[in-house]
Amino acid sequence: MHLLLFNIYDQVRSLGWNGAFTLLRDGVVLGSLYSLVALGYTMVYGILKLLNFAHGDVFMVGAFIGFGVLAQLGGPLAPALGLVPLLLVMFAVAMLGSGILGVVIERFAYRPLRNAPRIAPLISALGVVFFLESSVQLITNSTHSEYSTFPVFGPLFTPMFSVAGNPVTVVQVLIVLTAIGLMAALMFLVYRTKLGKAMRATSFDREAASMMGIDTDRVISATFFIGSVLAGAAGVMYGLYLSDTYFFVGFLYGLKAFTAAVVGGIGSIPGAMLGGVLVGVVESFAGGYAGGQWKDIVVFGILILFLLVRPTGLLGSHAIQKV
Amino acid sequence: MLKRIGALAVTGAVTAAIVAATLGGTASARNNAVAAASINCKKTVTIGVAYPQTGPVATLGANQWNWAKTAMKAWNKNKKNKPKIALLQGDTQLAGTTPQALQVAHQFASNSKIVAVTGPAGSQEMQDTASVWKSASLAPVSGSETRVALTRGTTGTPRETTKGYFFRTVPNDGQQGDNVAAYIHNTLKKNKVEIIDDEEAYSTGLSAQVQADLLKVNAHVTTNHVSQQDTDFSSVIDSIPSGTQVIYIPWQNATQAQQFYTQLHAHGGKEILFGSDGTDVPGTFTGNGSYVSGFPVDFSSTAVKSFAASHGGDPETFGIPSYTSVIVNATAIKTACKAGKGKTTRNAIRKDVPKVQLTTAQSLLGFPVKFLAKNAGKWQGPGDMGGTAAFGIYQIQANGSYKRVG
Amino acid sequence: MSETPGIPAPPEEPSEEQASRIGVDSWVAETERHGRGRGPLWQLARLWEYSPDPVKLLAFVALASTVPFWTNEGDLFVFGLFTLLYAALGLGLNVVVGFAGLLDLGYVAFFGIGAYTYAELSSSQYGIHWPAEATIPIAMAAAALVGVVLGFSARRLLGDYLAIVTLFLGQAFVFFTGVANPTVAGKGLTGGANGIPQLDPLTFFGYQLTSTKQLYFFLLIVVTLLATALYFANQSRTGRAWRALREDPLAAEVMSIPVNRLKILAFVFGAAVAGLCGTIYAAIETAAVSTNFSVSVLIIIYAVVILGGFGSIAGVFVGAIVINCTLEFLEPQNDHPEVKRWLFYGTIVLLIALLKPWFRPVLVLAGTIAFGFVVHAIVAATTAASWTSGVPVSGASWLARWAVIPTGSHGNFNNYLYIGLVVAVVCTASLKGWWRMIALVPTLYLTALVWENMLTQNGGITAFILFGAMLIGLMTVRPQGLLGTARVEIV
Repeated sequence: MHLLLFNIYDQVRSLGWNGAFTLLRDGVVLGSLYSLVALGYTMVYGILKLLNFAHGDVFMVGAFIGFGVLAQLGGPLAPALGLVPLLLVMFAVAMLGSGILGVVIERFAYRPLRNAPRIAPLISALGVVFFLESSVQLITNSTHSEYSTFPVFGPLFTPMFSVAGNPVTVVQVLIVLTAIGLMAALMFLVYRTKLGKAMRATSFDREAASMMGIDTDRVISATFFIGSVLAGAAGVMYGLYLSDTYFFVGFLYGLKAFTAAVVGGIGSIPGAMLGGVLVGVVESFAGGYAGGQWKDIVVFGILILFLLVRPTGLLGSHAIQKV
Repeated sequence: MLKRIGALAVTGAVTAAIVAATLGGTASARNNAVAAASINCKKTVTIGVAYPQTGPVATLGANQWNWAKTAMKAWNKNKKNKPKIALLQGDTQLAGTTPQALQVAHQFASNSKIVAVTGPAGSQEMQDTASVWKSASLAPVSGSETRVALTRGTTGTPRETTKGYFFRTVPNDGQQGDNVAAYIHNTLKKNKVEIIDDEEAYSTGLSAQVQADLLKVNAHVTTNHVSQQDTDFSSVIDSIPSGTQVIYIPWQNATQAQQFYTQLHAHGGKEILFGSDGTDVPGTFTGNGSYVSGFPVDFSSTAVKSFAASHGGDPETFGIPSYTSVIVNATAIKTACKAGKGKTTRNAIRKDVPKVQLTTAQSLLGFPVKFLAKNAGKWQGPGDMGGTAAFGIYQIQANGSYKRVG
Repeated sequence: MSETPGIPAPPEEPSEEQASRIGVDSWVAETERHGRGRGPLWQLARLWEYSPDPVKLLAFVALASTVPFWTNEGDLFVFGLFTLLYAALGLGLNVVVGFAGLLDLGYVAFFGIGAYTYAELSSSQYGIHWPAEATIPIAMAAAALVGVVLGFSARRLLGDYLAIVTLFLGQAFVFFTGVANPTVAGKGLTGGANGIPQLDPLTFFGYQLTSTKQLYFFLLIVVTLLATALYFANQSRTGRAWRALREDPLAAEVMSIPVNRLKILAFVFGAAVAGLCGTIYAAIETAAVSTNFSVSVLIIIYAVVILGGFGSIAGVFVGAIVINCTLEFLEPQNDHPEVKRWLFYGTIVLLIALLKPWFRPVLVLAGTIAFGFVVHAIVAATTAASWTSGVPVSGASWLARWAVIPTGSHGNFNNYLYIGLVVAVVCTASLKGWWRMIALVPTLYLTALVWENMLTQNGGITAFILFGAMLIGLMTVRPQGLLGTARVEIV
């Protein structure tokens, strides 16, 4: 163990401030993606008290839909659209497609189980995971879909500005800004609109909300739609940033985003955003300083410690057991 | 009353289980019967192909299966080839779970239609299933297992079980590691190397080998690890020591290598990437200026060209040794059938595998196939291919094509 | 739903099945179930329900003992051995989840601890070759110990937080053994991604269990003993307390039931059983490899318990048989393509036949057959010959005259088929009455096309797709599992 600590110390020194900055930069970019996916987990949990494990795979499907649009319109050498409209179309279609997928999943896998024991929807969610992953594998013939083969994205990877000689590329800025924009929109939706009010009421007490004349089924569908839309956007950004997508990526990304939701306080929307960035940064620093093999174990280890010390997460409210 | 019935029934159940156990223990095993059964050469015979159809490296499995099918078609098309062969898939989920490999081995062993085996894909799988194959008189011919210990080693190593029951149509890690280290040090003249493994057996073995070789010539070596599920390499890239000249990535997954290349360049990295046979996939790993060590495939051969044409331009070279393996198996079956005058056994086929010789044109590997009878060189042993079987070093060109440089 | 803004339409009346039946306790629910139905099938079901658990167990053991005498070794290994292993694992999980109602998603880690303990103590890893009679108790104790520690730290965590902590414990275990691999006594403790290979076979007092048959019978005895122990535990004071805890922890606490102690006890019990299974599993595998203890294995164990029904011991056996045999049967290495086809179509026809009244299934099936010939004729008349010249995998060439099976590649034809099928299923399920019957016809035809064109060639992937669909379907139709009692909501 002390050998490992010694290595970390060595690594910290040799990477210096420049290294620390690049790790922070990459952690924040990665964390923005986690945040977007984590929001879906946390919203669904807030409203249904359901751990929607299938959410990671909605994210994965979003990345594939984005790729499908790209393959149709992008053309490896001569794209049918310019870079900006192409990106807009990719985001729009992937977000819409994922949103619909989320609603369909809710309608068929969770809605019939509203009154079933708590574990039934959990198992159903795992069924959806198997179904989606294997279906995508079947359709894509187990191949990777590579965004990076499309030269149209070249400009995205040029430095936009640099901090003390460390470049920050366009795509990194794009991801962080998009994530912030989407989250702002979400906050507006949840705290300033009628639907948001209904969502908050439903998550506070579903039965009472339904007695007050709120159509909770519709609110739940809307929640799934919004959460999945965010995941779809994250999927496209994932494909752009990390250069390709594969049927297997949903599970691990989903699990980490879920970690983010829990660390932030499951059920809390600002908590998910904060948790996402935190997990991203921790993962990046763990990978950079302790070595790539440690990054996942550090993320999960922190989660367990965190839960044992503060089960409600950073921003979660204390769970009160109702009698 | 209920309680008494319960107690009686439970006692009954336990007794029944024990009695059955004693009976069962004495009954004869049936795999031997399948192993000894005579095979009719007039009918189509089946070769089992064990590869990962599902799991994280399903892409590689798909390559192997596509090439195995190509081999079957090529074999059956030639009228002189008898008997005709059919293939049966087995899904071993490499890097998923080993019980799958064991289950495939057991089912292949008990399936009397199966007379020879191509695969499995991973060295670990072979090691865990060796005794099953042996008990069923099957000798797997693998197109991707490169662990040295499978063909060479002393008492107490896996070699004990695999002797005569395992062959491969790829050179092994020892040969590959030496080649790569020599090329980096002697030809590229670089001595600051970062080695990144992907944490599974194939990769860690090869990394250790290259690291040891490089340290012998006083190169400066640093190491790091990624996992096969990683898609974001930024923190690993950020932590590469400054001044590093070459990054060696002996990974199973060419797409990961390409992702690494893309992300390295997006981060402004200029180091030379050096891949292994797992990343030797033209069309997937296309990082300009990178190197890979791979099977010396003859890209100009018509078989490879027509394969690429029918697979969207991707020659899927990772699967070519599996093609060779099917041909080796089929040839052994043909020989055994001829010797047995229309009848043969698994054991006869197994013994004919090491006698198979293929020309360069037949093997598609860029060298003729001839199996060694005894240890040779520093690394090879019986079950390995002898002669000029070695890895080639390729440099990836700007248009994504591979050019042989060593 | 049409509506004026602000005034939502009244929610639909829940059907009798779905509505939570308020004020009905489990005894009433069970008696109600007994009262319903007639016919020979129902008689059989009644016979099953009325026979006490030990008699069911006896019947199972009697049947299971004969398996090795009529299967070959490969099938015994794949279908027999692993069914028993899953049954044993399911029995342990049933205590934690089914009896005590604790959502333990780290169960598979205890399984792994058992396997790794065995691997450390009975292999060349550290040159220790202890016999199984020593390693098995140690492995069980080690798993139980971790269970105690986890139980203590998790006792404050309610419901889902327990699930989350245990889930990540399972993940941490996989990463620890597979990746971290700390160096102990000059060797990687867990062998990293390569695991610990070449374990000794199970050896009891000098008697080695090496053949599949020996292992099978050993496992059969273990499973029998486990089921017996669970049966008695369930009947005991502790068992009743567990059930009280599951139904309502708060009420149980008010009734002065020591909730925390019972939770930890359940945890420990489950952990010890998992540890035991781990040792046997490691010995079967002759290796301990970290990826064998991943979430997908956990899901399969959960599926085993859930399919049969929580808290039902007999259910675990049914679950183990159905899950393991279905999954393995669909794998490509299981060389019975015709049987697979008949089973697939048979299941679909059976499901359709359940429709009422009787003429609906007849019409739907007849419609599907006619629809298929019409589509085939149209395709054959309008497109190139290659679209209809394919043959189904393995014989049954008459099918090619009904189903459209192209040869060679036709772009993304297969993918459109598959996506079309998913959309069709979703549409069919959203429709009602006769519209649903009409929509069923093309859906069924599409199912046949997808099966013939895609699924038969990808057995491994198919197994997982159908497994996922089955989990969703089962939960929607019967969330309490096949043999579980309908969950009753008490207000």
